[in-house]
Amino acid sequence: MHLLIVSCTPRAKEKSNTDKILDELKKGYEYNGNTTETLYLYKRNEWESIREKFYENDNILFALPLYVECIPGIMAEFLETLKPKQNCNTKIGFLLQSGFAEASQLRCCESYLETLPSLLGCEYNGTLLKGGMFAVSFIGSKMRKQMIEPFYDMGKYYAQNNYFNKEAVNDFAKPEYFSKKDIFLNNVVSPLNKLFMKVFAKKLGCKVSLNDKPYQNYFKR
Amino acid sequence: MNLIISTLKKDDLYNKKIIENIQKNINNVEVIYAEDMNIKGCIGCNRCWLVTPGICTIKDDYERLLIKFLQSKQVVFITDLRLGFVSYKLKNIFDRILPLLTMNLRFKNGQMRHYLRYKKHYKMGLIYKGNGNREFLEKWLERVMINLDGTSIGTYNIENEEEILNALINC
Repeated sequence: MHLLIVSCTPRAKEKSNTDKILDELKKGYEYNGNTTETLYLYKRNEWESIREKFYENDNILFALPLYVECIPGIMAEFLETLKPKQNCNTKIGFLLQSGFAEASQLRCCESYLETLPSLLGCEYNGTLLKGGMFAVSFIGSKMRKQMIEPFYDMGKYYAQNNYFNKEAVNDFAKPEYFSKKDIFLNNVVSPLNKLFMKVFAKKLGCKVSLNDKPYQNYFKR
Repeated sequence: MNLIISTLKKDDLYNKKIIENIQKNINNVEVIYAEDMNIKGCIGCNRCWLVTPGICTIKDDYERLLIKFLQSKQVVFITDLRLGFVSYKLKNIFDRILPLLTMNLRFKNGQMRHYLRYKKHYKMGLIYKGNGNREFLEKWLERVMINLDGTSIGTYNIENEEEILNALINC
């Protein structure tokens, strides 16, 4: 089986969390001799050939980061250039990841993705969703491996079932919400997180407070 | 000040009519047309959180909008629907609101949220042209506004003028 993957993040591959996750998912998908091909929307000069591949292939996965509660602008722009397929058996699945950690944060976008394939003349093949992925592209390789390893099994799962079953995804994506205990612990370590971010930002060249208010002078309450 | 940002063409008849009507009924309305502006999409670089906090690294006309958001009592977006969602032109405008938030996280009503960069209660609404699932659009805008710690004024079909005016007047 062959899977066409369209990576819908505006970030270049080297800095993309979505693409790091995809790499692992692909390994799982390909374990049994399946093949994949990945195309990147951030390469705007390739959009014409991505469109052609979209019309030619009938097993497609769109991979995307959550941007302000739904699909990123670059993905919306690309989709607007597609014509719905006619009389086809095309199935479209989705990989949706976010920085926010709880699965509940991804549900609004998921409910949109459920409706999208039919508007393109295709069938919906489920959405694999997972939060808490903000740090994938900048943490150490050991921790990254730990974070993305579970996607290998989900790739394998998708190859076997050709569908992301909701129950399996829910189990993979949990927690739906954090427990009160987790929230309490999170609040306890919050000053440490802030300190870590401050140090990290300084390393990146930040010269002011992360809470800086550059437009305060324009501001009316 | 009340702000209208439209991604529809200036000469779009529905667009003209609703804007005229809003301006007749509500004082102090400024209208900005996306077609007059150069607004690119967010590239997800996180520099507005981590390197130049509060300032977007893309140098185009968006900075003007960020400042307007801070200055406006309420903001109403007008756009057409594509594939059941707002047009990419409007989504690009929403994707780039991140400088209004900071990198740091907290929990609010049981979910993770970013802190607001400025102490401001944002009120935003959406007027859409075309067919779509209003329930979904409502849910989407509600969630966007939760992230901004603000209030959704609601989502309205551009043809329902009375409903739109009532909502804006009572807001």
